Amino acid sequence: MSIRFGDQLIVVLPRLRRFARGLAGSAVDADDLVQAACERALARQHQFQEGTRFDSWMFRIVQTIWIDQVRSRDVRKVSGDIAEERLGSDEPVRRVEARLALDEVRRAVDRLPPDQRTALLLVTVDGLTYKEAAEVAGVPVGTIMSRLARARIALQLQLEAGGGMGRSTKDAEAQ
Amino acid sequence: MQKRSDDRLIAYLDGELEVAERREIDAWLDADPAAREKLAALAASANLVRLAFDEVMHEPVPDRLIAAARGEMVLPEPGGQVLPFKRRRGIERTTGTHHWRIGLPVAAALFGLLLGGGAVYLGAGKLVPGGMAGKQPALEAAAADNVWLDNAAGYFRLLASAGDNGLIDVPATGDPREALQKISQSLPQEVRLPDLKPWGLNFRGARLVVAEGRPAAQLVYTTDNKAIGPLTLIIGSSKQPDISPTLATRQDVNLLYWRHQGHAYALVGQADVGYLWGIAKDVAWQLDAI
Repeated sequence: MSIRFGDQLIVVLPRLRRFARGLAGSAVDADDLVQAACERALARQHQFQEGTRFDSWMFRIVQTIWIDQVRSRDVRKVSGDIAEERLGSDEPVRRVEARLALDEVRRAVDRLPPDQRTALLLVTVDGLTYKEAAEVAGVPVGTIMSRLARARIALQLQLEAGGGMGRSTKDAEAQ
Repeated sequence: MQKRSDDRLIAYLDGELEVAERREIDAWLDADPAAREKLAALAASANLVRLAFDEVMHEPVPDRLIAAARGEMVLPEPGGQVLPFKRRRGIERTTGTHHWRIGLPVAAALFGLLLGGGAVYLGAGKLVPGGMAGKQPALEAAAADNVWLDNAAGYFRLLASAGDNGLIDVPATGDPREALQKISQSLPQEVRLPDLKPWGLNFRGARLVVAEGRPAAQLVYTTDNKAIGPLTLIIGSSKQPDISPTLATRQDVNLLYWRHQGHAYALVGQADVGYLWGIAKDVAWQLDAI
């Protein structure tokens, strides 16, 4: 194995974990996803083209594995059930308000369709350009643009409906 | 039409529009207060989304992922715990003696507060209540840790405020090994240089400092990435017992310190804690320090 290749992987791990956390929802599932992506990347490192962006290549691997999982396990249904259960469950009484607000945002992201969630995480969270995100997702730039717009509007509506927008903004500012 | 407006407004916010389109949106915003309000709400929600996932970047990366990235295998820890450092080529599981202790810094901070300025007196054998006599070595060690970590943070601040090469005793010009050899001549044992280039950190040179009352090397790394550097790594000798990597803070400076087999290490900087954990793991891996 090329040492340089492994080192590149280590550097990008925190961002991969953040991306995977947004896709998979839970920390354990996200780390499983990243681990699987590392293993696939090492097995296919000969396919990586020098001079292209390594992080984009890794994002694409994470996304591909996740989509495979979604298709094979119907993850959308499972994660939706969990989200509703969480909303109705007893939250610890003394939970920090800011954390509650950010949890609410994460749940709202979790309810987005997979393609919109991917666009949102790549562009809004990780700061990729539309063109870079389109390359990762394997779709035209216009598709990313419309997915992102739908995601952002849906997210805003969800947060407003839950009263989370005002509270979240206030709590986030307090952090 | 509404959908198209949303698309363009969001692309405007993301800086993805051409100049002409941008001007159109500017004019629209000037004329329509509702559009301005919508833009502000979209910007706020985008900021919240970033915040919601930002904490992942501050978490230590689990060892199983580091191992996976290096093409090695680590057996899973029950309950998904973060694993301790592993030896560079070791794949055996370790037991709980070397676990990273997230709670320890909090306990240490409280402990430090309780000790306060009295730590020196405790270390000198004064003001020690009868029931505390058996704990004196632990108190002395804690007090000693406080002092050398204060110094380590101070060394970092001096260096950061001095700028490029300002206080570096042995600059790394040409072959960095020469700088290491020169600094090692003043130390009880040879110092090895961790390669932190994968983190974007370049070795700039070394300084001779004092850690735990002994001469030590302060290795200086810089980077253009303000989120990570500059960073210093102090490597010294120690007669204290081994301790797991532990986080401490001194005002705006973060320190990760640990002791292993007669060496004391401190990674010092203003980088996010998540980065420091990752870099410290890499250092320990390279130096086989854990």
